[in-house]
Amino acid sequence: MPQIREELVARFYALFEGWGIPWIVPRLVVMLVVVSIIILFISVSAMFLIWWERKISAHIQARFGPMRVGGWHGWAQSIADGVKLLLKEDIIPTQADRPVFILAPMVVFAAALAAYVVIPFGPGLIVEDLNIGILYFIAISSLTVLGIIMAGWGSNNKYAALGALRSAAQAVSYEVPLVVSLIGPVLLVGSLSTTKIVEAQRYLWFIVLQPLAFLTYFTCAVAETNRLPFDIPEAESELVAGFHVEYSGMRFAIFFLAEYANMFTVCAIATTVFLGGWRGPLLPPWLWFLLKTYFLLFVMIWLRWTLARVRVDQLMNVAWKILLPLAFANLGITGLLVWVFS
Amino acid sequence: MTAEEILQQIRARFGSEIRTSEVRRGEATLTIKADQNFEICRFIKEELGLEYLNCLSGVDWVGENEMEVAYAISSLRQPGKIILRARVPRDEPVLRSVVPLWGTANWHEREAFDLLGIRFENHPDLRRILLPEDWIGHPLRKDYQDERFVPYPWDDRKPGTVVRPTTA
Amino acid sequence: MTTVNLHLQQVKEQTAESMEEMWVNMGPQHPSTHGVLRLLIKLDGEVVRECIPYMGYMHRCHEKIGENRAYVQIIPYTDRLDYLASMYNNWAYCLACERLMGIQIPERAEYLRVLIGELQRIASHLIWLGTFGLDLGNFTLFMWCFREREMILDLFEAVSGQRLNYSFMRIGGLALDVPEGWLGDVKAFLQWFKPRLPEYDRLSTDNIIWQKRIQGVGILTPEDAVSYACSGPVLRGSGIRWDLRKNDPYGIYDRFEFDIPVGTSGDVWDRFWVRRQEMDQSVRIVEQALTEIPPGPVLAPVAKKLRAPVGDIYSRVESPRGELGDYIVADGSEKPYRYKVRAPTFVNLSALPVMLPGYLVADAVAVLGSVDIVLCEVDR
Repeated sequence: MPQIREELVARFYALFEGWGIPWIVPRLVVMLVVVSIIILFISVSAMFLIWWERKISAHIQARFGPMRVGGWHGWAQSIADGVKLLLKEDIIPTQADRPVFILAPMVVFAAALAAYVVIPFGPGLIVEDLNIGILYFIAISSLTVLGIIMAGWGSNNKYAALGALRSAAQAVSYEVPLVVSLIGPVLLVGSLSTTKIVEAQRYLWFIVLQPLAFLTYFTCAVAETNRLPFDIPEAESELVAGFHVEYSGMRFAIFFLAEYANMFTVCAIATTVFLGGWRGPLLPPWLWFLLKTYFLLFVMIWLRWTLARVRVDQLMNVAWKILLPLAFANLGITGLLVWVFS
Repeated sequence: MTAEEILQQIRARFGSEIRTSEVRRGEATLTIKADQNFEICRFIKEELGLEYLNCLSGVDWVGENEMEVAYAISSLRQPGKIILRARVPRDEPVLRSVVPLWGTANWHEREAFDLLGIRFENHPDLRRILLPEDWIGHPLRKDYQDERFVPYPWDDRKPGTVVRPTTA
Repeated sequence: MTTVNLHLQQVKEQTAESMEEMWVNMGPQHPSTHGVLRLLIKLDGEVVRECIPYMGYMHRCHEKIGENRAYVQIIPYTDRLDYLASMYNNWAYCLACERLMGIQIPERAEYLRVLIGELQRIASHLIWLGTFGLDLGNFTLFMWCFREREMILDLFEAVSGQRLNYSFMRIGGLALDVPEGWLGDVKAFLQWFKPRLPEYDRLSTDNIIWQKRIQGVGILTPEDAVSYACSGPVLRGSGIRWDLRKNDPYGIYDRFEFDIPVGTSGDVWDRFWVRRQEMDQSVRIVEQALTEIPPGPVLAPVAKKLRAPVGDIYSRVESPRGELGDYIVADGSEKPYRYKVRAPTFVNLSALPVMLPGYLVADAVAVLGSVDIVLCEVDR
């Protein structure tokens, strides 16, 4: 697979060279094609996820969920919702800070999109195998906080601003144990590159060697993506509304899409680092990868529809007083064991 | 305490204030003049031990030109119950508030003020509770007329007679 | 209505506001106020310092209407008070009239009233549990509770023809006898319902997020509870063992065996737990009633034009929300002279400004949910 790709790209470049066009042009074209493929994948994946979530939540609640749109179990429901959101009026509050208001959803989506660069869908099926893969993922996913604060500020709404600051505090607090829990497997592999991490799980998945890290990482992942039980920023029945309260129509759709894209990313990284990535017998590697990621997504959805919401001060408590010490303990033990057995 | 004992104790202490008293259906009921309603209530609460105010209701006796505040008092510790009725003249319906004795009287008295116009002295916050702040008039009074009022065919009140406006 | 905030302006002028204190408005349109209630909350950062409830948005002149209707005609109006426990509203009013007029109702009617009343209590607590879960973020509990409540509503529809506002009880008994096979349906419902309660527990009572959310929050001391005349689960949650069904029995409740769950500390958890246990106890009562119902008439022979003797009465029952009382003053005619409803939620809500200060604004929703208000009853 990597060889075919390399050859195709080389031939593509040679073509343009033959015409006397500088190398930057084919380079941009390749980048555009790759980005389009990823955006297409995110859109399809998010649409499927939304439909799937509605179905799962419905069956947990003893009802059916979408059944009509498109015929078989309402599979076209997400498409219909997407079209509806596209057709809505674009409302921008008069006193809102227009550039900030308009850029906020784009920043959030761009951050979610950029994290797909290091996700290994299969051997060689990765946009760019950066040798600082995990670090890159952590850094880029922190950019969503910026977008959230921009959304809260730009809305010119006291409650949206408070909600944005709350969710920024939540995101930042849960970043720390997330990062620390990821360092454990990195120590075992000795490299930050996602491909190398998958290759190192040849004999044993890291979830067996690092169960504590997995649990800590998964909890932080649920909090990072603002899912129940950590969905204070989006809670409708609380006193203060969320940061995206003034957004409607396509802008809201972009926030929504970014949330599901983020969910996929964190589960994909969890699969890569803890569940052996694309490794597995019989089936093609990309299928294994998708199955494992969607299994983790199923667990996230299941959690959302089972648990109650954590209060905002308890949220901070959990992050700083429970998850962080656990993650550090895991790191300490891993470091010790690596040093002893090396 | 039985109903007779309750009435006996109150009669012994406040005999002059009582207009009528009787035991009906096993419960003590008593009508008093309103001057000492606070003292009588305090006596009932602290010395007879009936510490639970179930209900405080205003009644408009337009025929007798009086208004009445009825207190239904009981206890969580003993089976005694009493209904105490305090009468005030209808043109000056002023009573002393029993909020210092029972916190629940706060909202009940506000409701009596709101709907019937009975004023309670020393009430911490006497303002309307169910009707909007700027409503004029006390609807539960028997002679309340609303400009939008349309009577039933068997009623001989005249429709649409504006006695006083209801909102500012 | 521009002057409606006059009181708030006065309050702001009177209380010294420091830099960090601000007044936040919750409602009247809000998904968690369970009706049209406006709460003005004074916040100091995240902590609630003061709470002023405004109500009256649902005031429909129930008492004034009652003065212009014959005794029987008031029964449909009583349904609309606490529409989540309509049967109990009917019962409270019919009991007051029966006591006033000295009417004795047949045995079968008494048993059916208890059975229906306890089923109504289960239905009311199911709604409360579902919406409480919804406030705390648990949507699944809401759906499951409503599934069971639909079954109870089907039973009530078979009996009275209505799903919500039944007007089923009459002064002198019940309007109609229950249809054939209905008692068997009740039994089947109980068979289905009993294993559901542990399922709800797995989502709520046994869940640590739920426990941490509502333990130690919104504490109401027993002294305050008595002073503010709280009743029902609010009073029992504060540790006071007082249930009208046991302490001042009406109907034939003294023939049934059931426990009264009582809380210990008066926090939201205790009120939740008391209601959850009351559902178990109601199931017990229904089971006992099913085995003991005698045959016979369900309506005592009463006059078509009911007149009450001169006098007044204060009569009370233990509705799912607390002590529902009717104070009726009769002047000998066929209409009451004064008809006052002592709504339990009106009185319990007056304790909210005592329960809320000192806790976080995020708990306001949980505390309000634990009081279990129905605005139609608060405002009448």
